[in-house]
Amino acid sequence: MLNIFRRKGRTKRQQIDRLLGLLLISPWLIGLVLFKLAPILASLAISFTNFYMLNPQETRFIGLSNYLQVFEDQSVGYILFQTLAMAMGALPLQMTASLALAALLSSPRLKGRGLLRTLFFLPSIIPSVAILFIWQGFVQPGTGWLEKLIIQPMGLEGFNNMYSQAATNLLFGLNSLWSIGPGFLIILAALQGLPPEIQEAARVDGAGPLERFFAITLPLISPAIFFGIVINLITVFGGVILLDRGNVFSGSASPYDGYVSQVMFRQYELGYASALAWVFFVIVMGIILLLFSTSRRWVYYPDKGGQA
Amino acid sequence: MKPNPLARFLSPHQFLTLQRWERIGSLLLNILVYTLLVLYLLPMVFMAASALMENRQFSDPNAPIYPARQVTFEYEGKARLVYNVPLESGVRQLALVKPGRTSSQFIDPANPAAGLITWQGYWRQLKGDYQFHLSWESFSLLFRTLRLVNLVKNSLLMALITEVGVLVSSIVVAYGFARFPLPGGDFLFYVLIATILIPDKVTLIPSYFMYTQVLHWLGTWYPLLLPFFFGSAVYIFLLRQNFRSIPRDLDEAAMLDGAGPLRILVSVILPQSWPVVITVSLLHFFYIWNETRQAALYLGIRPDLAPVSFGIQNFQSVSPIQNSLQASALVIMIVPVLVLLLSQRFFMQNMIITGTER
Repeated sequence: MLNIFRRKGRTKRQQIDRLLGLLLISPWLIGLVLFKLAPILASLAISFTNFYMLNPQETRFIGLSNYLQVFEDQSVGYILFQTLAMAMGALPLQMTASLALAALLSSPRLKGRGLLRTLFFLPSIIPSVAILFIWQGFVQPGTGWLEKLIIQPMGLEGFNNMYSQAATNLLFGLNSLWSIGPGFLIILAALQGLPPEIQEAARVDGAGPLERFFAITLPLISPAIFFGIVINLITVFGGVILLDRGNVFSGSASPYDGYVSQVMFRQYELGYASALAWVFFVIVMGIILLLFSTSRRWVYYPDKGGQA
Repeated sequence: MKPNPLARFLSPHQFLTLQRWERIGSLLLNILVYTLLVLYLLPMVFMAASALMENRQFSDPNAPIYPARQVTFEYEGKARLVYNVPLESGVRQLALVKPGRTSSQFIDPANPAAGLITWQGYWRQLKGDYQFHLSWESFSLLFRTLRLVNLVKNSLLMALITEVGVLVSSIVVAYGFARFPLPGGDFLFYVLIATILIPDKVTLIPSYFMYTQVLHWLGTWYPLLLPFFFGSAVYIFLLRQNFRSIPRDLDEAAMLDGAGPLRILVSVILPQSWPVVITVSLLHFFYIWNETRQAALYLGIRPDLAPVSFGIQNFQSVSPIQNSLQASALVIMIVPVLVLLLSQRFFMQNMIITGTER
């Protein structure tokens, strides 16, 4: 008798919690329906039509042909490969750099830490036109800083082509390293939020600095690292989250994103552009879901006893 | 056995005590980090230097890397440029009077009475004599041609309005996601992530149609402001991750004391989350400060309502050639951000200390 009552009480409590949860997330749910769902459904519908911006009256349903065209399009495969290769190059570079930098900057032995944090974050918020400007000023044959500061004093042979592979790699590296700011800031905030007692306890137990970092600090900040990976991944795929560098529609760091823009704004093939964007979305979403499913093994949340 | 001469230095009790080791370690760490900083910011220094250069300097391969101006000397009523001329007696700084392909005539600014000096060679191969000089002209030109004060005011107002909306809504929603069982389990959370991942381009045309044709909001701030009052998916995600890493014990203790869910959010969760809340509000400010796409779509017809990012980008695209005007515009974009970052440093540090004490 008592047991039944207890169970009933629990379910009622859960019922209230569910309702409360729904109420709390309702601002987002309303916004989702109003500002996201309608445009998303419309764009999904467009991807099944031959919508041509210069001749919208002729629009009609053409089924899956846009999607079939994506697989037949010879440039798609190459561009997709390029985009994924870029992500594979940028992501380890960015994560290693931001983690190392955050670890260095969390050391209490450093003078002027607050200022250092600010200055290391600064490049991540400069507009993308500035990066281009700086890169041009750096690699410009004859007058660039690279030539004046490094190549001429060392007697090396300078760039004679601004658009050479080496110069482009330099731009890619600069762009990758100059966008670690958000991830770096989030990891640093997590590091500084750690209770110092845990470190002290480990030190007393005889753990060295490296051991403490890998065995204690790293697992404790794993939620921040996970978030850093997700935002860097989305940014490298051409998305805009957290930081908008003011990219224009036509230009993008991600080759695939650039291709979609070209189809949309130069060829005005909205139907095909929508299909291209949706295919990419499915691929990116697959990668992210994979990441989330592995996160259960390595992201630490104290409320699940550290096992979840 | 002969004692190792290094042993005296290596022994921790003799020369290098533990304390000294620590001091050397600190010194090396500082040197390393500050060297990294200089390398990391070098390109930005280049931009700041460019902003203070005269345009002539961008095309002269012999010009120095710092802002400078070629020395001139007035001779016979005209300003003559001074070059480093290699003569038999050594390199001398001489003002060019009569340029020529095979021989040129110079005058010595230190001793003009000595008359013209002839030098054999093509004058264009000579290096100019540069002197450090800051040119503020491009900044004053920018202030005159752009309505900069109005543009900055627009940006700040937009940032302020959306900051309030996005913080309140995102915190409440993130709390819901972090602490309450939701119908469908993790499904709604995955929907949240999906909305972050959906490329802008997918929703661009339909949203534009909705805002301009259905809501008639073209030329207003509403399309740029309103969506933020319903929370921003990425901030919700960030806050949720943080809320979840706070142990539930405190929630439960507060609940036993009779605190309601909002009370728990305000008195238990938020006091432990100041670093992340401040991080989110700063990130949002930078987002609004740099945002140009939405502004281009909806405010292109109303330049008086445009934010500073859009105004400066428009200005940039007018001239594709490198010049100090571009650099100055970029510096103007960055300086307020730098000021904001520097001013909140102390503030944020305090927050972290109170956060860990509880």
